[in-house]
Amino acid sequence: MVSETFIKPSAADKRVAKLQELLAQVSGSRGDSRIAPTVAESQSRARAILSELAIPSTKDEEWRFTDLSSLLDINFQLAGPAAVDVFALADSELDETANSRLVFVNGIYVPELSSVAGLPAGVQVGNLSAGNFPEIASYLAQQQGGQEVFTALNTAGLADAAVVWVPANTIIETPIHLVFLTAAGATPVWSQPRALVVAQRGSACTIIEEYAAARGTWCAQEASNCYLTNAVTEIWLAENAQVKHDRIQREATNAFHISKTAVSQAKDSRYTCTAVTSGAKLSRHNLEIFQAGEGTETVLNGLAGISNSQVADAHTAVILNHPHGIVRQLHKCIADGNAHAVFNGKIFVAKAAQLTDASQLNRNLLLSRKAKVDTKPQLEIIADNVKCSHGATVSQLEPQEMFYLQSRGLDPATSRNLLIDGFAGEILAQLSIPALGAKLSRCIACRTDN
Amino acid sequence: MIIDNSEVILSVRDLTAEIDGNQILKGLTLEIKAGEIHAIMGPNGSGKSTFSKILAGHPAYTVTGGEVIFKGKNLLELEPEERAREGVFLAFQYPVEIPGVSNTDFLRASCNARRKHHGLPELDAFDFEDLIQEKLQIVQMDPSFLSRSVNQGFSGGEKKRNEILQMAILEPKLGILDETDSGLDIDALKIVANGVNQLSNAENAMLVITHYQRLLNYIVPDFIHVMEGGRILTSGTKELALELEARGYDWVKEELAVGV
Amino acid sequence: MSTTAKNLVNQPYKYGFVTQIESDTIPPGLSEDVVRLIWAKKNEPEFMLDFRLKAYRKWQAMTEPNWAAVKYPPIDYQKIICYSAPKQKKAKLNSLEEVDPTLLETFEKLGIPLSEQKRLSNVAVDAVFDSVSIATTFREKLAKEGVIFCSISEAVHEYPELVQKYLGSVVPTGDNFYAALNSAVFSDGSFVYIPKGVHCPMELSTYFRINNGESGQFERTLIIAEEGSYVSYLEGCTAPMFDTNQLHAAVVELVALDNAEIKYSTVQNWYAGDEKGKGGIYNFVTKRGLCQGVNSKISWTQVETGSAITWKYPSCVLIGDNSVGEFYSVALTNNAQQADTGTKMIHIGKNTRSTIISKGISAGRSENSYRGLVKIGPNAEGARNYSQCDSMLIGDNARANTFPYIQVQNPNGKVEHEASTSKIGEDQLFYLAQRGISAEDAVSMMISGFCKDVFSQLPMEFAVEADRLLSLKLEGSVG
Repeated sequence: MVSETFIKPSAADKRVAKLQELLAQVSGSRGDSRIAPTVAESQSRARAILSELAIPSTKDEEWRFTDLSSLLDINFQLAGPAAVDVFALADSELDETANSRLVFVNGIYVPELSSVAGLPAGVQVGNLSAGNFPEIASYLAQQQGGQEVFTALNTAGLADAAVVWVPANTIIETPIHLVFLTAAGATPVWSQPRALVVAQRGSACTIIEEYAAARGTWCAQEASNCYLTNAVTEIWLAENAQVKHDRIQREATNAFHISKTAVSQAKDSRYTCTAVTSGAKLSRHNLEIFQAGEGTETVLNGLAGISNSQVADAHTAVILNHPHGIVRQLHKCIADGNAHAVFNGKIFVAKAAQLTDASQLNRNLLLSRKAKVDTKPQLEIIADNVKCSHGATVSQLEPQEMFYLQSRGLDPATSRNLLIDGFAGEILAQLSIPALGAKLSRCIACRTDN
Repeated sequence: MIIDNSEVILSVRDLTAEIDGNQILKGLTLEIKAGEIHAIMGPNGSGKSTFSKILAGHPAYTVTGGEVIFKGKNLLELEPEERAREGVFLAFQYPVEIPGVSNTDFLRASCNARRKHHGLPELDAFDFEDLIQEKLQIVQMDPSFLSRSVNQGFSGGEKKRNEILQMAILEPKLGILDETDSGLDIDALKIVANGVNQLSNAENAMLVITHYQRLLNYIVPDFIHVMEGGRILTSGTKELALELEARGYDWVKEELAVGV
Repeated sequence: MSTTAKNLVNQPYKYGFVTQIESDTIPPGLSEDVVRLIWAKKNEPEFMLDFRLKAYRKWQAMTEPNWAAVKYPPIDYQKIICYSAPKQKKAKLNSLEEVDPTLLETFEKLGIPLSEQKRLSNVAVDAVFDSVSIATTFREKLAKEGVIFCSISEAVHEYPELVQKYLGSVVPTGDNFYAALNSAVFSDGSFVYIPKGVHCPMELSTYFRINNGESGQFERTLIIAEEGSYVSYLEGCTAPMFDTNQLHAAVVELVALDNAEIKYSTVQNWYAGDEKGKGGIYNFVTKRGLCQGVNSKISWTQVETGSAITWKYPSCVLIGDNSVGEFYSVALTNNAQQADTGTKMIHIGKNTRSTIISKGISAGRSENSYRGLVKIGPNAEGARNYSQCDSMLIGDNARANTFPYIQVQNPNGKVEHEASTSKIGEDQLFYLAQRGISAEDAVSMMISGFCKDVFSQLPMEFAVEADRLLSLKLEGSVG
């Protein structure tokens, strides 16, 4: 006889229960009338899928290196509106985007901190629930890959979103800044930011998407309490459109950050993503690009600069299904302390994607004996007339290089920072605003300072 | 520029062509004179790219009728490399990569093949270096491009600029740009257009094939032709392009239908 | 692919003739008696019989490897003649004048003149015909520097202590199926010994020729570079055209002691079979170098254009701290050829470095695979490897595979791997034609560009030869 009180719930049960609990919290947002019927359909589909899913474990191939167990025991409550003042934003403020900025706190739009006065006429930038976006039905929650558990969870609870709508042949020089802050409370909270970018035929724009703790400092000190961000961003590029996307994740160091960026590229379009990760205790970014037309170009730059016991996991996938696609990917990781960086880079070249020109390079710099990196380039090539190259390196700071700099009078700390800076600089230089690169460079330097 | 009584560079009459038994060109007629810039626009599958490949002699296409006279010669009788040496230049929509062959070596081989054909002495590495440095300015390219392998690892924009650099060196009589602007970012588009404008003169002609009106903000053609179903449907000036972008290709078809 | 393309590959094999010469040939088959017979014929010391029998017994217990991406019908080892030598008038030749003139003519026809007047001025040659070494040039000149360059049969008699010490020390008798077979029945090959501090004054070269249609060739090469010495060695290979397949199972062992460097180059042009894949050599070879000493270096360069099947992985075991291993390879396959080739870089010592540059070209309906292992052992602090594997496909029916294996057991190691696949097809040729460049020039430009990094590693005389050989092999394959 086994006493019932002594049966511990199995780990799998716990994962199912946790997901259902989170889902129950967002059920209130069902049926927002301002969102199109297609979105409502996606929402009910998402709920249906979620009833059969669980928080993933390391037994799932997609989560092999990133363990979410620590998330299961935290009682996250859906964040509500927070009283924020202009100081909450101070860290994220950029002169260049003072009049082209949308700010969300706890996933909720804050008009007082936002301004889009600096954008050309015809461009529509705003939050979904307040704005008027008649054509949204074909775009919002319509990307492929929506059945992934965290994406589905975000869609299930979708109530508001940041929307950037660029009409045909409109070139926007000013970067558009989407700031998603979390104001951590007395108890653990979670929020589900959502963004949608639609660049119509022949248009061009630059998006800076940023995640941080409200009232943090640039180097992301611990927030008063831990929190979870589950973000989804969808980007659509029509024929010959161009989107430059800078994605900055510098959440508090006791936060969880799970996110998806899904991009669909029509014929002749160009998408460049520069994703920099320095924050969160555990972060996961899924970046998925669908090349949906001939002659598309995708440039992916990635940088993770982490230390202590941070885990930063980047899963990227580029799916090529048309001729003459170009992919250029460079992903770099710097890991110090006990930090663990993960990179899984998938490039799938379907039979139809003849004359694809893809290159992928992953470089990792380990600054301590205990820092760890798992890298998995994954090229699946079915087309026969393609050019694909991939490379991966894992290295430490070279003693010769350190010695050389020291022999020129630099102290070890300065030498070390100089070399780390050089390693990170290649990615940071790709950001559209140099000041942003400089801030992040300082951030990574102090993060990896012994 | 339109010049009275200037030399006819290209004359195409009733050209028909097919690939794998499918007829793509169905009676195309076009005349281009020295000094002129012509643009061909049209929806996907209208045959405009095919036309450029046929002019350059792509082996996959079979000409089934009509004639193409280039500077008084029957172009269709010439091999692709002979057409190139005679002065037909095609800027490719998708330039090919050649691993291990430096841009300089490739350009010099190409330049000398043309010089030899015209009975000119071949350029040695030093003379060629001088020539190429001067041409680099036209496309605002860094000299480090020259030592890289041809188009290898280049971005889309770099590949297209490299095409214009080649055109600058080969100084063709007829420069054909096959959707050079497709997929090009604004900065690269300006550089490419600027290069074409600099290279265009009273002695040569340009044929710009494009899918997007945007390019024509930077390269102003003397004539615009709209292609559809393997033939030229209508011709006009720059305004036609704006009309097309705003109202779509179906509008042309309807207009013509009304006209008939 | 258009017709120009097809015409570029099918160049007749100009080394395909057979030399009519009386041979001393043993009956086909392999047994302990055959091993003893070979040992007796060669009049070898006792330790060699032990070596051979041990190898034979190991071989009997082994099975043929089947993991390579190559296909061929089962080989009947009882039908192979393990020993065949041209009959000589005297058992021991004292000078070149005593060599059968037919043999000298054969080598002259192959472009390897051996006589004093005609021979290459800066290359010493050891010529091996079927199972035996015919002649070695420049021996006296080399002897003045203390360099020993002779056939391995002679070395067994004249330097038994060196042979006994090093033979099988790099490739043990039971290393693999073909190495065991070779160890049991090998008949001849080259032996090189470079004494301490000597920089070998000229290129050393061995030319291998298979003449007999039923005989296997089992040659053995052993090169020892003492402390601080340097040698550059090159081997070349050809065979007549037969409808049947001949087995070539060689073993090459290199030992580099402290601060020594060995550069080993191969231009392999065995008969590849006809267009339909009939005939040709099965080239199953074990080549391994031991960087035994600190700062030692072993560099393999290979240009593989012949053979019906190539199974070959020239490797480096990097034991000495700071030692360096290199592998530069161009492997070309055409028609029905198959190649599964690559390298192994085993990093054991600290700060050991290795470089792998592999270029595979596949034309016709051939299959060309790169297979390589980079292993960083637990004590190989600061070890580094860089690998680059590029494949080029010519036409639509050729295949290329890349199988890189990487095992890193030390966190302080650095391994870089890059791979690419490109193609010479209609689009590429049209692009070059549109720039005024003819198909022939285009192909040779693309091939030389593709192979540049490897050819630059070959001794100069052979780099030109390799470039020419490749163009000949590809003539007619593109267009």
